[in-house]
Amino acid sequence: MIKFIEGPLWYVALTVFIVGVAWRLMALLTMKRPNDLSEARLPRGGAGGALKALVQHSIPHGGNLGRTLYHFLTGYMFHIGLFILVLFAAPHVEFIQKHLIGADIGWPKLPRWAFIIAAEAAFAGLILLYVHRLTDPVKKQLSDIDDHLGVWLTFIVMLTGCLALQEAHAGLRAFHMLSVEALLIYLPFSRLIHAFTFAFARARTGATYGRRGFTP
Amino acid sequence: MSLIAVVLMVFVGLPHVTSATAQQMPPPQALKNEGIATPGGSVRPPVGAVNLPGSASSVRRPGDPAAGGSVPPPDHARGDQSISDEFWSRIRHGQRGDVVLHSPGNRVLIQSSGEDWRLLRNRQVARYGAMALLGVLAAIVLFYLLRGRIKIKGGRTGRVIPRFSLAQRITHWFAATLVVLLGISGLIILFGKSILLPVLGPQAFSLVASAAMQGHNLFGPLFLAAVLGLLVFFLKGNVPRAVDVSWFFKGGGLLGGHASAGKYNAGQKIWFLLTIVLGFAICVSGFVLLFPDALADRTQAQLANLAHGIAALIFIAAGLGHAYIGSLGMEGAFEAMSVGTVDENWAKEHHDLWYAEHKGEATTDYVRAEVSAGAAGDGLMRGVRP
Repeated sequence: MIKFIEGPLWYVALTVFIVGVAWRLMALLTMKRPNDLSEARLPRGGAGGALKALVQHSIPHGGNLGRTLYHFLTGYMFHIGLFILVLFAAPHVEFIQKHLIGADIGWPKLPRWAFIIAAEAAFAGLILLYVHRLTDPVKKQLSDIDDHLGVWLTFIVMLTGCLALQEAHAGLRAFHMLSVEALLIYLPFSRLIHAFTFAFARARTGATYGRRGFTP
Repeated sequence: MSLIAVVLMVFVGLPHVTSATAQQMPPPQALKNEGIATPGGSVRPPVGAVNLPGSASSVRRPGDPAAGGSVPPPDHARGDQSISDEFWSRIRHGQRGDVVLHSPGNRVLIQSSGEDWRLLRNRQVARYGAMALLGVLAAIVLFYLLRGRIKIKGGRTGRVIPRFSLAQRITHWFAATLVVLLGISGLIILFGKSILLPVLGPQAFSLVASAAMQGHNLFGPLFLAAVLGLLVFFLKGNVPRAVDVSWFFKGGGLLGGHASAGKYNAGQKIWFLLTIVLGFAICVSGFVLLFPDALADRTQAQLANLAHGIAALIFIAAGLGHAYIGSLGMEGAFEAMSVGTVDENWAKEHHDLWYAEHKGEATTDYVRAEVSAGAAGDGLMRGVRP
């Protein structure tokens, strides 16, 4: 069973993930824009607007700090923590070298204390964001099964990964691998795809408004 | 094991021995009688096994050329004297030695009080803890069977009052999530060996125990943030008042008659106090257990372990009652923490003094009440929002 999870199933999940993400990105990039016959208000307003939106929408702006502080803090705690764990956790670096690249990638491996801090931040951020989703009167109305499934899958992946931290049991590693594979298969077809599309989406919105001389 | 070996090897003036040897070793005198080498002792063949001088012998006394010996005795040899008794006694009584690894706890090879701790934890704490948890569960079931769900006597009015802000509810559920994760993993650590091991077998239990320990250590520090959040967001209204005394004497209304209460009744105030006091005790002792090598000796870690377990067991037992009365046990209570509002009659029956202050806010517009509650709760937490 473990051999199947770490062998054929891993490659199937990885293939679905890569093809799915590529397909979603291609669809986004080749999406037709409505004709805009108006003159650009600013020279190179589109590019400037895209850049401005990318920066501006990543931090509280427009006097919204008070309203967005909670999401700003918890969101960054979760995303930065997860990013660090995925790419720099020592077992992940070894896995990437062994199963994906086949050579030394030269990335630093997190020491254990740094792993713990990143994991604490990621878990705290994810739980706080999800509790907010469940209790906020507006947000809970906007949430559907995709949002809940995405959060739970991410949580399970993080949890099984941390439970296997001791690396003493192949069974715990297999649980983690299995949950990762489920996430890889689910991600391209869910809102979790925002991990890859958020920059394009923000840039496009910014470019559209930048051409009109205003970036919200 | 390697650490113990290192400690042994550098004990001044003491011969080398592995910890496994030390633990399994019969009394030195018995070993000597059997002709077995004891650490630091001399090799003495069994009686009658050695030929006396003059007889044909293949056994030569060391260092005695006349007897054919050619190897001089080591400088520390003491002939038929043995230091093994003294050696063992010193270790057994916590003799400190010099070590290569400079951690205070490493200087002691055998910490005898550790056995007392082990027995206390595995027998008293685990036994009485299990009894307390099962007792509380039995009491809840019995109460439910006898009393049933506490209904809103006057029925629902269809009018709701904002009660808890979004910040309060998020803090509550953040803490509750951690309590569940830490509670389950902690109970596995405490009771797993006696309950799960016989059921799962050693291999599966080893996996579960390893996962529980990792999870417990990981989520533990977050609990401190949750306790601090609870202190900040729930302190207002939880200060004792005179009315709490009469609430007690009336058993919260269970012993007959109406028991008046403000926003929080006396039972809730005690639960808040327990949460803060036990929560901090659990956090402090938990941090001590996360860094045992920073302690002066192992006794502190053992005391922290006992305090951690006892405080957590009391907290879980009380928490079971809190979870019951806040959900299945009382109609209308769960909404206070899920949507932030309560029915007008619920407020009148359970928190009449608080209701008197807020009855003007009762509305049939559920959505507006929920949004209003999210922003400022009942006004106590106005201006604090996530």
